[in-house]
Amino acid sequence: MYTFLLIIHGLLAVALLGGLTHQAFATLWPARSSGGFVSAYRSVAAARFANANVLLYVVTFALGSFIYPAYRVSVRTWVENARLWHISGLFEMKEQALAIGLGMLPFFWLVWKREDSAQAESARKWTTGMLCAIVWYSFLAGHIVNNVRGLYGL
Amino acid sequence: MTVTKVFAIFAAVFAVVYTIAFEWHWELFSYHPRLGTFGWGQQASINGPVMSWYGALATAVLVAAAISLATLPFLRKRSVPLWIGWAVPLACLAIWPWFLRAFFIR
Repeated sequence: MYTFLLIIHGLLAVALLGGLTHQAFATLWPARSSGGFVSAYRSVAAARFANANVLLYVVTFALGSFIYPAYRVSVRTWVENARLWHISGLFEMKEQALAIGLGMLPFFWLVWKREDSAQAESARKWTTGMLCAIVWYSFLAGHIVNNVRGLYGL
Repeated sequence: MTVTKVFAIFAAVFAVVYTIAFEWHWELFSYHPRLGTFGWGQQASINGPVMSWYGALATAVLVAAAISLATLPFLRKRSVPLWIGWAVPLACLAIWPWFLRAFFIR
């Protein structure tokens, strides 16, 4: 069952990654025209992604939290027995970054849905950029940990 | 006056309290994954690892919610500077690699 849930967790993370990356590109590097693939990618209505990204973050986080004990008992023990401390550290950083990102979600929602000042524009760029970076890091760290035996030929 | 005014404060306090709670073991509870049992506060490991992450999250949620709501009456005529909602979490994120350095420098 944990393998199935891990795959669902991964798929939800892909959706969140797509949503947040779209929103971050449209916010940090807005397109001046909509011609071409890259410009079209940056010209989405970023505010429309806010609710979906909050929901996806919460659901992906909750599912990850549910399967976390299985990692702690089986995988981390194995990783530490193999003395791959840096792999364990990658995952530790992921859990801390995601937790801090979770606390930012109400503020993220606020600056996208309620605030319309110049100050909010700056806050939108920072929060969206930070959450995007957190999710990208977590996605990559999760994949490295998931594939650790293949990556290290163990 | 709406509760959304304190969301920036919540984000800032949550990041600080979570960082302190995890690093200094102020977790509300601990979880023994091999046994499937919980215990209040910091626990010693029993027949396997002990997880403090859930408890540190709970501490951060409760303290951040309490402080945010306590500031609400003072915000009737004032606005919260929005930068604290991202700058404080960013500072906390920047501290974590230092706390975790033992994993990478051996």
